[in-house]
Amino acid sequence: MSLCQNRLQEERKQWRRDHPFGFFAKPVRTTQGVLDLKKWECGVPGKDKTLWEGGLFKLDVLFPDEYPTKPPKCRRPDWSPEVKRSDKHAGKFVPPLFHPNVYPSGTVCLSILNEEEGWKPAITIKQILLGIQDLLNDPNPDSPAQADAYNLFKRDRQAYEKKVKAIVKDNPAP
Amino acid sequence: MGRDRFAKQSLGYLYPRIKQSRILMIGAGGIGCELLKNLVLTGFGEIHIVDLDTIDLSNLNRQFLFRQEHIKKSKALVAKESAAKFNPHIKLEAHHANIKDPQFNIQWFQSFALVFNALDNLDARRHVNKMCLAADVPLIESGTTGFNGQVQPIIKGKTECYDCSTKDVPKSFPVCTIRSTPSQPIHCIVWAKSYLFTEMFGTSDEETPEFDHSEDNENAKEIENLRQESQALNNIRQSMGSDEFARKVFDKVFKDDINRLRSMEDMWKTRKQPNALDFDGISKGASGTKPSIAQQDQKAWTVAENFTVFSDSLRRLSTRLQTSQSQTGIDTVAPVLVFDKDDEDTLDFVAASANLRSIIFGIESKSKFDIKQMAGNIIPAIATTNAMTASLCVMQAFKVMRGDIDKARMVFLERSAARVINSDTLKPPNPNCNVCGVMSSTLIVDPDRATLNDLVEDVLKSQLGYGDEFSVNNEIGTLYDPDLDDNLSKKFIDLGVKADSFLTVIDDDEENPRVNLSLAILEKTLPEDTKAVHLPKKLDIARKPKDAPAPITNGGTNGDTNGHVAASFVGTKRKRSLEDPENGQQQDNKRGKIQMPSKAVGVQDDDLVIADDSNDGAIVIDD
Repeated sequence: MSLCQNRLQEERKQWRRDHPFGFFAKPVRTTQGVLDLKKWECGVPGKDKTLWEGGLFKLDVLFPDEYPTKPPKCRRPDWSPEVKRSDKHAGKFVPPLFHPNVYPSGTVCLSILNEEEGWKPAITIKQILLGIQDLLNDPNPDSPAQADAYNLFKRDRQAYEKKVKAIVKDNPAP
Repeated sequence: MGRDRFAKQSLGYLYPRIKQSRILMIGAGGIGCELLKNLVLTGFGEIHIVDLDTIDLSNLNRQFLFRQEHIKKSKALVAKESAAKFNPHIKLEAHHANIKDPQFNIQWFQSFALVFNALDNLDARRHVNKMCLAADVPLIESGTTGFNGQVQPIIKGKTECYDCSTKDVPKSFPVCTIRSTPSQPIHCIVWAKSYLFTEMFGTSDEETPEFDHSEDNENAKEIENLRQESQALNNIRQSMGSDEFARKVFDKVFKDDINRLRSMEDMWKTRKQPNALDFDGISKGASGTKPSIAQQDQKAWTVAENFTVFSDSLRRLSTRLQTSQSQTGIDTVAPVLVFDKDDEDTLDFVAASANLRSIIFGIESKSKFDIKQMAGNIIPAIATTNAMTASLCVMQAFKVMRGDIDKARMVFLERSAARVINSDTLKPPNPNCNVCGVMSSTLIVDPDRATLNDLVEDVLKSQLGYGDEFSVNNEIGTLYDPDLDDNLSKKFIDLGVKADSFLTVIDDDEENPRVNLSLAILEKTLPEDTKAVHLPKKLDIARKPKDAPAPITNGGTNGDTNGHVAASFVGTKRKRSLEDPENGQQQDNKRGKIQMPSKAVGVQDDDLVIADDSNDGAIVIDD
C-alpha cells in the first residue's frame, strides 16, 4: 500500500471519528462502490456571525499520487478536465465561487495549499477545510485570483456584500 | 580449459548452486545488458529476462547486446539472443512484457532464487519490491544516474525494502513562471516545448503534464489573460502556410504578449522587465544569416541566428503538418506534430524560440546541444557507470546466495567523492514501512461465491480476532470500514477485486493495533460445503510498534531516473563507520541530510535520464 493511500486512509479514519460541526468530507465512490480515496467531496459551512453564515459551500479535494509530499487541489465541483477544455475554446469558464481568492477554474488559492509556500505534509484535511472556512470571510487581497470578486471587494464593498448574501442563499446549509 | 574453471575456483561450493539456480532480471537496458552478460558468464543456470521496451537508436552506444539491425525489436528478445552466444550451457527465457502484467504473479516470482532489478522508473521498482517481499525472494535493486550508481540488496524481514525510505518526487513549475515570469533558461525551454510548440503544431491544449495548474500565482487576472493568449495563438495557427505566418507568430509571442506583460507594472517591481523584439529590425539584421547555422549546436546563437533558425524551422514544421493534413480525410482526427529531441525540426524550433524568449527576459541563451539535453530531460547515461553497477550487483548477489546477509552491502558509485566506490551496511527494515512492515498472506477465494462479508466476518473477525475498528482497502481505495458496510454483500468480482490483486487490512484499534495485513488474492473453486474465503495457513499478526517515527525522506534523487542514488558521503566518515559498526545508525542519519548536487526528473523515455550538473534545476512540470 502506498504512502499516499495509507495516509488518506488515516485521514478518513480521523475524520470519521471526529470532525468540526457543519462540515462534511467524503471520498467519492467508484462505479463498483469502492471509496476512491484520492477524490473527496467536501462541504465548508460559512462561519456564524459572518456574511457567509447559513451557507454551505461544496468543493472537490483531489489528492495527487505524491501526497502528502505535494498538497491536494481544492476545486469547486462540476469541474472536470473535459469541461475545462471545451470551455477554454468557447471562451467561458465554469462559474467559480464568487470570492477574491478563488480562481476562475474554481481552484482555491490558499498558502497552505501551495507546495512552494505553506504546504506541510502534516497538514490534515480538517485543517485545510477550516482554513478555507476562515478564508471565506477573510479574503487575502494581496493574492487575488479572480477579477470579479476582487474588484468588487476593493471598490464597492456594499455591492460585494450583497452578492455574497445572494450566494449564501443559493448554497444554503441543510 | 573449461569456461567455468575460474568461476569454480573463486566461488567454491557456491558454484554448483549458481549453476542450478533460476533467476529473474527485470529490465534489459543500460544496466540490464551489462548485468545479463555478467550473469551468463558467471554461469547462472536459468535466467528469465523481462522488458517491455523496444530498441532505439540512442541505446546503441552503451547497450552493447544491441546492434543497428535490432532497432525497433524487443529488448528482452534481442538481449536473450545476443547473450545466449556467450555461454551455450545456460537456459535463457525472454518475456517482452510489462512486469506489472498479471501473468507475473506471486507464484511466478516464487519460482526464482533471486531477482535483479535493472529498471528505469520508480513505479516498476516499487512493484517488483512489493512482489519480491510477498514472494519472499531476495531482490538486488540497482540504478544509475550519470556518474552515480547504487546497488541495494533487499531481503524480506532482514533489510530495508525499497519503500522503507520515501523517494523524492520531481519538481514542477507553476504555470505562471513558465508563461509570465521566467527567470531561468529551463523556464523558456519548457515554454517553447510545452506551450508554444503544442499550441502551434500539437493538440492545442495546454494540459500537458509539464504544467502545474494549481494557479498559485500572485497575479490576479493573469490566468484569464493567458487563456486569451492561447486563443489568439490558435487563430494565428489558421494562417499557417501563408507568407505572413512567421511574422504573425513572432509578433504575437515575442512582441504583443511581451508588451502586455510589461504593462502589468506590479509584476516587475521586483523583477527585470522584459523587452519585446521587433520583427523588421531583426529580420534586416538576419538577412545574411543562413539557415544552416542550425547545425552549429555547440554555441549559443546570436539574436539574428536564433531568428533565422526560428523562421526556417517554423517553415519546415508548417510544411510537414500541412502535408500530413492534406493526406488525411476530413473525418479522421487532425494530424499533429509532437516534440522529439531527436527530431531536428522540432528541436530547432524549440531551441530558437526558447532563446528568443530568454533574450527578451534577459536570461542567458543556451546552445542547441544544451537545450536538447534540457528539453529531453536528459542526463547522459554512462556506459562505464552501468558496467560497474552491474558488476557490483553480481558481487552482492553472491553474498546473498551464500546467506551472508551480514556481509552484503548497499554500494554507491560516485565520481566526486574521495573514493569512487563506497559501501554501507544494510539497515534493518523500517518498522513503520507500509510495504514491508506488514503481514503478508495469500487469501484463497472462490470467485463464484465469495463476498466481502465472508472476509470481514469469517476470516477477519472470527478467525483472526479483529475488533470493530478496521478497514479493507485495495489499490483504488476503501472497500469496507465501520461507516462503509453496504459493500459487504457484494461479491469480490463485483467490487473489482481480481486474482493476483492485493487487499490491505488496516487495524484501527485504538489500544494496540495489528500491523497492516496484506492479502494476495488467489482464486480457486472451492467445494460448496466449505467457506468461500479462507487463509491457507494460520497467521500470527504482530502489533504495531509504539511511537516509532514515520518514514523519512532520504534526500536522494528521484526514482524515475535510471537509478536512485540515495546518498553520498565522504571517505573519512565512511572509514569511521567501517571500523565501528555501531556507528552505522548515526552515519545513516547524516547521510539522509546530504544533498545531491543535482536534481533528477521523471522521464518516459528509458534511454535518457536526467539530472544535470548545472544549477538549472530539473525540468518537469505537472498538473
